[in-house]
This record gives sequence, structure tokens and C-alpha cells, in this order.
Amino acid sequence: MRAYLLSLALLAVVAVSLATALEPWFQNWAGNRTKSDNLLQVALGDSRRLFARHFFTKADVYFHNGYYPTIYDSRAGFDKAHVGEAVHRQGGEEGAGDFLGKPKDWIDRFGRHFYPAQHTHLGDSECGHSCCLHAKQHNGHDENCDHKDHKEGHDHEAEASGKPGLEREILPWFRLSAELDPQRVETYVIASYWLRTKLKRVDEAETFLREGLRANPGDYELLFELGRIFYESRKDIARARNVFELALRNWREREGAKPEPNILLGVQILNQLALLEREQQNYPRAIEHYMLLKEVSPHKELVQAWIDYLKTNGPPIAAPPLPY
Amino acid sequence: MNPTTTPIESAVLPEVARLEQSASAATNVLAIAGVVIREMYRRKDFYVLFVLTALITLVMGSVTFFNQDNIVRYLKEICLFLIWGASLVITITTAARQIPAEREQRTLFPLLAKPVTRSQFVIGKFFGCWFASGLSLVLFYVFFGVVAGAREHEWPVLNYFQAMTLHWFLLGIVCALTVLGSIVFAAPSSTSTITLIVSVGILLIGRHLNKVALRLEEPGQTLLYAVYFAIPHLELFDVRDLIVHNWSLIPWGVWAGALSYGAAYSAIFLALACLLFRRKAIN
Repeated sequence: MRAYLLSLALLAVVAVSLATALEPWFQNWAGNRTKSDNLLQVALGDSRRLFARHFFTKADVYFHNGYYPTIYDSRAGFDKAHVGEAVHRQGGEEGAGDFLGKPKDWIDRFGRHFYPAQHTHLGDSECGHSCCLHAKQHNGHDENCDHKDHKEGHDHEAEASGKPGLEREILPWFRLSAELDPQRVETYVIASYWLRTKLKRVDEAETFLREGLRANPGDYELLFELGRIFYESRKDIARARNVFELALRNWREREGAKPEPNILLGVQILNQLALLEREQQNYPRAIEHYMLLKEVSPHKELVQAWIDYLKTNGPPIAAPPLPY
Repeated sequence: MNPTTTPIESAVLPEVARLEQSASAATNVLAIAGVVIREMYRRKDFYVLFVLTALITLVMGSVTFFNQDNIVRYLKEICLFLIWGASLVITITTAARQIPAEREQRTLFPLLAKPVTRSQFVIGKFFGCWFASGLSLVLFYVFFGVVAGAREHEWPVLNYFQAMTLHWFLLGIVCALTVLGSIVFAAPSSTSTITLIVSVGILLIGRHLNKVALRLEEPGQTLLYAVYFAIPHLELFDVRDLIVHNWSLIPWGVWAGALSYGAAYSAIFLALACLLFRRKAIN
């Protein structure tokens, strides 16, 4: 009995000694999450990034009305989220996206009636009706179809209510994604783009971007999007200029030293600045921006054409606008 | 005064007897099914799952994103997910305990001593579970329709009807499979677990087995393709994505084809269950 009690006492002493040794180490450990105010961060740790990525993809699934490849399908054309392509004006989706291919057997053919099996986007030919999809491809409507009066590439709800907005359906997933991974800048930029453009929610877009800036101070992508809000939506030229210039400065600081810098965004910032100065008829400043743009742009001839035009102040040039 | 039988009457008799037999069989089956339905609404399983589904859906519905109060698709997806989970659990747990419970409580012997055949007993249990799951589905889908309609201000009743009937026929297959499992496996817990895993497995990967098979070498390819053709494709009955994203109606012929496919698989599993139960020692 005595030996039993002594061994228990020994175990208790060992436990207390270990606790006094481990506690200070744990408090100073880099992986300690107890200091975080974010409940999700405490509960999920780094796995929240995985969930954030999943919810971001979910937004893209909703953007496609549920038509999306699984891990068993070919992801050709779906490598990057289409929901973000409009933001960067990349438009890389042309001809992509029929991941299903031809039916492999009768079950496959029959099964395609029971899940979204056509490539559509929120806001364009939203009903998913085969007749409307046919019309969307400029092949006209089927005469026997109930939808034959619908316009090509129409949006039922917008037509019915007179206001746009099916894109709102992707917003919950962006919100969740941002909550889980506040460092994922893309989420703020894309959500803000849809809020600002299709949903006409400029205030909410700005608030969300500022939230992103609090989590990612000085991020040039967020600043660029914020600048676009001031420039395109609020028409506040002075603030837009300041924000674009700050974005350019931060882009240079952060990307300048990288072996493979994010050229596309730098080009977009410079082009936006040049455009702004051109519209304000501040040609010398616009030329300065175009000169910088020429250094990094893959379309040097087009940029040079604009520089020449602004220098000579001649008639409008035949060159098309810059594709940024 | 002795009754005499005319030649015409004697010729009709076997037919009448057959009709009477069928009527009696139907009565037996319906009586057993009625008991199962009464049992379900006396138990708390359905109410708990329904309240949970309603509660989670309403809480999720109360969240506002970016001051947009008419966002609905995420809510429809969550609600349908909960309905599917709840309906699978209700159906499988109800069906899995029917035959073992009758054996354990020794109520099976007097039941079979009456003019109830073993096949009628199994079929009655199946129909009882299937109708009970159908009743619960009606309530779930009415709730779903109200929630979605309140947000969307649209009432695609026919789409919901198609989704519900397809869902119900899927539960028919699952129910028959569970009844079969309850005869094969020893305990209701193992039957429930195995059936749930098989059903969810088919729902998740059934559609993709052919793609996986095509990437395999022979004979793996043929074997997997054989499995692909043999299993009941439960995913055919899952039209949640069409409902969530407001796709148009499934052609009625295709819908009827899917229901026939479901009925055929239910009949196969039920026939197997009857066959096994007839050969099984019940004491």
C-alpha cells in the first residue's frame, strides 16, 4: 500500500516538473495558437487554408451553375478559377471547359440528365435550358421551345425583376474563404470586383477591400482594386491617382527583387495610371507612365504608338487599345 | 339442400381462389407495412432529425452576406444536404432493425404462424420502411420548398416533385438493400454501417468508376467496368445540383426511366432478401 502511494506521489512530482519545464517553452513556441484572437485559427490551424481554398473553388462552381470537373475529370481549362478571369481581363476560357467529352457508355449518357452537364455562367443564359444555350452560341432558338422568346445570353432573373445580380450567389463562399484565410488576397480582389461591377455594391466592395488591406498591409493588388473603385465607380480622380501610385510603389518594392515578378499586375497598374492621366489631359505624366510600361509590357509596339500619339497630339491612332 | 357445383362454377373456382389469395397477400403486406409506419411516427428519430435540419437551415438562413438578403443557393445546398443525410439515416436505421427486432422480441413466430408467408413478411417490412421514408421526405421537401420560396420568390413545384420522387426511389433501393443486409448480417448496427458506407460510396464515386476503369490495365479494367455496370447507380437519383442552381426540368421520359431503373434494383434486392429469408432458420 505504501509503495503504491509512493509511486503515485512520484508520478505527480514528475508531472509537475514536466509542466514547469514545458509551459515556458510552449508560451514561446512559434506554433502556439492560443494568443490568436481568431477562433477559426485556434481551432483549425494551418488546415484553414485548405478549407479556404475549397470555398474559393466552391465560388467558381457556383459561377458555373454547378458545372465543374471533379478529381476524376480532366481539369483542362479549369486550372484557374474562371470567376477571377474577368478581374484580370484574361479571358482564357475561350474554347475551354467541355471536360465531360463524349459519353463513355449508356449509363454515362443517361446520367448526364441528372447533373449540370453544360458549360454556363451565372448571369449569362442562366436558365441552363438547352434551347437558350443553343441560342447563346448564335444558333437561334428552337421553334417548339417554351424559351423561344428569350434573348441570346439572357438572364431570367434580371429580365423578370429589371435588376442584375445572380452573381450574388457566389458571395457567401468568398466571405467564408476570407474568414478562413485572410492572407488570400485573390479572394478580396475577386469578390470586390463582382460587388463593384455586376452587383453595384461599391460601398461593400470598398469595405471588403479595406478588410483585406488590414490583413495584408500595403498589398499592391488590393490597392490596385481599391484604386479602380475610386477611379471607375466613385470618379474620385485624385484619390485614385494616389492609390494607384502607392500600388505601383509597393509593386516595385515587392516584385522588383523577385526572379519572376508578377508582370501582369505591374502592367495593369501602369496602364491604369497612364489612362487616368490621359483622360485628365496630363500628357507629360501619361507619357512617363507609358515609357515605364514599355519596359515591362509584351506589347511594346502598341505602347510606343500611344507614346507617339501623345507626343505629337495627332489624330486618334489606328492601333487598338492596350489589352490590360 | 346440399350445395351443388355446376361445371361452369368449378371452372371459375381456381381463378377466384387465386384472386382471393392475392387479395389476402396484399392485405397481409399492407398490415405489416402499417405497423412499420406507426412505429416510425412513434419513435423520436424523425422528429430529432427534422428539428435539427430546420434549426441549422434557419440559422444559416439568418446570416447576411454583404447586405444582400436574397442570396439563396448556398442555403438550398445546405438544406438539401441535411435532408439527404437525415433521410438516409432514417431509412437505413429503420429498415435495419425490422427483422432482427421481430426475432429478438419473439413476435416473428406468431406472425408467421398466422397465414403470413415469409416473403409477405419481408415485402411488408420493405413497403413499411419505404412508405415511412416517403412520408418523412414529403415533410422535408415541404420545409425546403417553403424556405427556398421565401427567399427566391419562385415556386418550381415540378422540379421539386421530380427531385423528391427520384430521392424516394433511391431510398427504395437503399431500403431493399438494408432489408437484405439485415438477413445476411448478424446485428442491426453492422447492417446499418455497411449499408450506409456502400450507399454513400456509390453516391460519391459510382459515376466515376468507368473513368477510373479506363485508366487501368486488363483485367482490372474489365473487372471494374463489370462492377460499374452491376452496382445500382444511386447518383442518378441525386439531382440536388439541378435544384440548387435552378436548372430546367428533367425530361419526363428520362425521369420515368430513372424511376423504373430504381424499381428494378429494389425488386432484385427484395427478391434476394425473400429468397434468403425463406431458407434461413429463424429460431
